[in-house]
Amino acid sequence: MSVLKDLMWFFKSEKKSYFVGIFILLLIGCLQVILPYAVRIIADGIKAGTLTREVLMMWSVIALGIGITTYFLGYIWRVMLFGAANRLGRLLRNRLYQQFSSMSPQFFHKKRTGDLMAHATNDIRAIEMTAGEGVLTLADSIIKGSVVIIAMVILVDWKLTLVALIPMPFMAYATSKLGTVLHKRFHKAQAAFSDTNDKVQENISGVRVIKAFGQEDAEKKDFDHLLDDVVDKNIAVARVDSMFDPVITMVVGLSYFFTLAYGSYGIINGTLTIGELIQFTMYLGFLIWPLLAFGWLFNIVERGRASYDRVNSLLQTKPDIADQSGARDEVPSGDLVYQIEKYVYPKGNVPVLSHVDFKLKRGETLGIVGKTGSGKSTLLRLLLREFDVAEKEILIGGKSIQSFRLESLRKAIGYVPQDHFLFSTTVAENIAFGKPDATQAEIDRVAKLACIHEDILSFESGYETIVGERGVTLSGGQKQRISIARALLLNPEILILDDSLSAVDAKTEHSILDALRKERAGKTTMISAHRLSAVEQATNIIVLNDGKVIEQGSHRELMEQKGWYRMTYDQQQLESVVMEGGGAIGN
Amino acid sequence: MVTKRLISYLKPYQKKFWFAFFLLVLSTAAEIAVPVIASHYIDHYLTPRLLDWSSIILFSALFVGLPLLGAICFYYQYLAFQTIAQWVIKNIRVDVFSRVQHLGLSFFDRHADGSLVSRITNDTEAIKELYINVLSSFMQNIVIIIGVYIGMFILEPTLAVVSLILLPAVVLLMHGYRKRSSKVYHVIRSKLSQMNAKLNESIQGMNVIQAMRQEKRLHDAFSKINQDHYIAYMKNIKLFGLLLRPATQLLSVFMTILVLNYFGIMSFSTAIPLGILYGFIDLLGRLFEPINQMMMRLSQFQQAVVSAERVFTLLDQTEYAPAQQGNENPQITQGRIEFKDVTFSYDRKTDVLKNISFVAEPGQMVALVGHTGSGKSSIVNLLMHFYPFQQGSISIDGIPLQSFRNEVLRTKIGLVLQDPFLFVGDITSNIRLHDAEITDEKVKEAAQFVQAHSFIEKLDQKYHEPVGERGATFSSGQRQLISFARTMVHDPKILVLDEATASVDTETEEAIQVALEKMRAGRTTIAIAHRLSTIKEADLILVLHKGEIVEKGTHQTLLEKEGLYHKMYLLQQGMVEIAN
Repeated sequence: MSVLKDLMWFFKSEKKSYFVGIFILLLIGCLQVILPYAVRIIADGIKAGTLTREVLMMWSVIALGIGITTYFLGYIWRVMLFGAANRLGRLLRNRLYQQFSSMSPQFFHKKRTGDLMAHATNDIRAIEMTAGEGVLTLADSIIKGSVVIIAMVILVDWKLTLVALIPMPFMAYATSKLGTVLHKRFHKAQAAFSDTNDKVQENISGVRVIKAFGQEDAEKKDFDHLLDDVVDKNIAVARVDSMFDPVITMVVGLSYFFTLAYGSYGIINGTLTIGELIQFTMYLGFLIWPLLAFGWLFNIVERGRASYDRVNSLLQTKPDIADQSGARDEVPSGDLVYQIEKYVYPKGNVPVLSHVDFKLKRGETLGIVGKTGSGKSTLLRLLLREFDVAEKEILIGGKSIQSFRLESLRKAIGYVPQDHFLFSTTVAENIAFGKPDATQAEIDRVAKLACIHEDILSFESGYETIVGERGVTLSGGQKQRISIARALLLNPEILILDDSLSAVDAKTEHSILDALRKERAGKTTMISAHRLSAVEQATNIIVLNDGKVIEQGSHRELMEQKGWYRMTYDQQQLESVVMEGGGAIGN
Repeated sequence: MVTKRLISYLKPYQKKFWFAFFLLVLSTAAEIAVPVIASHYIDHYLTPRLLDWSSIILFSALFVGLPLLGAICFYYQYLAFQTIAQWVIKNIRVDVFSRVQHLGLSFFDRHADGSLVSRITNDTEAIKELYINVLSSFMQNIVIIIGVYIGMFILEPTLAVVSLILLPAVVLLMHGYRKRSSKVYHVIRSKLSQMNAKLNESIQGMNVIQAMRQEKRLHDAFSKINQDHYIAYMKNIKLFGLLLRPATQLLSVFMTILVLNYFGIMSFSTAIPLGILYGFIDLLGRLFEPINQMMMRLSQFQQAVVSAERVFTLLDQTEYAPAQQGNENPQITQGRIEFKDVTFSYDRKTDVLKNISFVAEPGQMVALVGHTGSGKSSIVNLLMHFYPFQQGSISIDGIPLQSFRNEVLRTKIGLVLQDPFLFVGDITSNIRLHDAEITDEKVKEAAQFVQAHSFIEKLDQKYHEPVGERGATFSSGQRQLISFARTMVHDPKILVLDEATASVDTETEEAIQVALEKMRAGRTTIAIAHRLSTIKEADLILVLHKGEIVEKGTHQTLLEKEGLYHKMYLLQQGMVEIAN
């Protein structure tokens, strides 16, 4: 129940809804007990032969009035309580989204997308349930339950009430117990189902291997076994699930029996009328739901508790990277200086970068090359403050990048990430992502610079073509070029290309680099690449190996050094001839 | 149509189904009997004070025994229906999975993995809900409603007939709710999926969003959908409030008033046995919960039918993988491969291979060279008989490819893919796959043969080291070595090699090279080659361009041509010089 206390801040902010909702539940409870009373009056009237048309008419009208009033009241409390819960869901989803927006990439590395999604969907739904159905069942079982029991005692007979209620607590107990077991088994069934999901996923992704090794029938057998498990676990769930109704039937049946037995005794002794017996039996019917709900309540609240804790711990997470107090508002500009003594990933122990010192004058281009895992990407991402350097610093215009506001720093930088991520919207909106108010002319221009304009025009709806799963599938090279156009549109002080030309062919790479040189005269550019041709024209090239600078200089200087750079350059020249062999022969 | 097909899946379980149905009727009858008997008890025993011990015991036994009987029957019928539903769903899943297993690669080319997975899992799950929550729940509730009416007929036929007017009112209400709610539900579902898509996308592209400072704009977009979802959901709450429980509650009040007036007015002229009133009121109380249940489940029905349609569409796919022609069972003994004028197209519009002809003699290596899209992979795909081809012929040992049984092709032609796909399991299971005839000994031999043994021995659990999703815990070089072992364990006659371009660490690279050399020895090899060293050793080099062989020859002849190969060779020499 403690989750209800934790949600108190919300209940307070929705005071009106909850107050009105609960008050109406009380009202309905009170109105509800009148109808059986009417039945009793009429029944006893019939029995005694004293019933008149007027009495019958009056009670009919009263019952009708109660029915209609209850109808509207029932509508209102639903809108109040469930509406509030719906607003809680909306609020939490927005907060969670906001929170995700302020988290650094590290956070997203640590958490799996699937889990984060589950928090935003299933967990929030469970919390909504707590704030809606949970509050309802609590209020309903307490309010309606008490009103009905009070009515039984006052309007009928307290001894009969006592006798009839004997089996009832057992129902609340049993449904709560069954609910717990059901929940556990249900979890297991879900896990088994998710195993089959994984299997299918693997099977479909590995279809080539499966076909190449003729494993189709074996896979079918495997799948069959997994499904047997799913069936078993689900039948285990059904075994518990099937208990609910019988338990209720039995408990209610016993209650009715006690009522009838003790009622008969009362009637024979003249302390009870048949009308009262009917009235009481109707009340008994009213009690089933609140008691049932009471057992159910524990399950709702239990789930809500776990979900609320998970969501809350997400919301409480402080961003790793934040503005320093008194951070500068201005957009940084000027010469770029890296003075990194050592950089170790959080929770890592091997330095990813050590002794990286270089200076890049404003307007110069830096090339960064080296093997996979040598630290190229890290070096670039440190500038974006995706991580912070603790030992020494990075300066722009003589000021540490940590002294600027994140917002300002990012304003200065155009970033083309390695894993070119596009959003599932139109090509135009993807290019204008960082500048949503860009004109079509501006978009066209940068698309031309990035050599993607022609490609886009060849799509069915041109710039309005939707990208991604529901739209066209773009090649890696096309995605990269759109990412480049996206960054160019910002015309940033510093442009970062993080191995973003890997999937474009040599000729296109050449034209893009040419265009960049012209377009970005006087502005700083940093290019990391596997293919050395991408950095040939750079003012300064650094070669990284295991996080250390092993060679440094211009292309010409590095070629003369005959080290790693030269070796790799020659090998790549050769490979490009092989790869494009067909074309070369054709020429 | 869809419903009919769904019902046809119940056929194998007919007996159990009807037995469960019998229990359902029995349990309902037992439950309904209680108020009817109680009514009889009140009028004929209690009111006239005709109670002796034997009748007290009899009625007590009935009032306790009948609910007990009802509960037991209910338990078994409910469990039985659930069990049948589970079996049925299993059968549907097996059917659809099997169908997919035997579809050709051409089918997989055209369908996104994600949607196929969702067809086999989520859509079938929705059908399960249909069987359990809709079909069986409807059946149960209808039986209860019929039972209640029968009870009413026993007590007071005239009033029961009058009470029938409730049914059209309920149907009208159901129809109204279904019509309105299906639209609202649709909006809710689509908003929810939009919201999830947005969220998913934002999580994955957060670094771009942050780098471009678009957090606020995307949050606003998310908030908007969130708001739309809120509004749609509110509409649903209101609809529920207007047309569901509160509405049926109102109907029950109407019915009570009707019953009271019927008996009240009748009492003015004749004496009314009150037990009947008692029974009637009790039965009325049992009538409305089934109605509520059915109304709440209506919306699920529509959703499930849509899912079922999608599953059945997949089940009806007939784009099978190419099958063996003829009934003979030729074997591959030599490994001589011949392509003769093969022209091939995936979509029957643009040819990706044009007049490809070449011969690989037993034990020879043919290297396929050319850039992406030149047709290298298509040659491999055809040789593996992954796709049917229409023009030209491919033969192995002089026998047409189509005459071989699939098992023969799969064991005698070893395919090594560029991206080695590992399955969840352990190393042994990845080498052996599902073939029980491959002993641990053989697995080890194969691993030794491909130089994988030494790294495997260094693992904590050696050959039983667990392999996670896609083998992510292993380096790409190690993955490659494991996939080599998987191929070599069958000792194929022909090797089809899609050489990896990805760079791996030096140590593993060396192992890979040694392994490849050993694997090729004594086998006919078709290699999609990227490394010059591989190409140099080939007995025949095919240079492909736009689906055509533009140059063909051996290392020597191509060198003498002083064309491309010559150029490559010179560069190679230059590199050796630098390295020294």
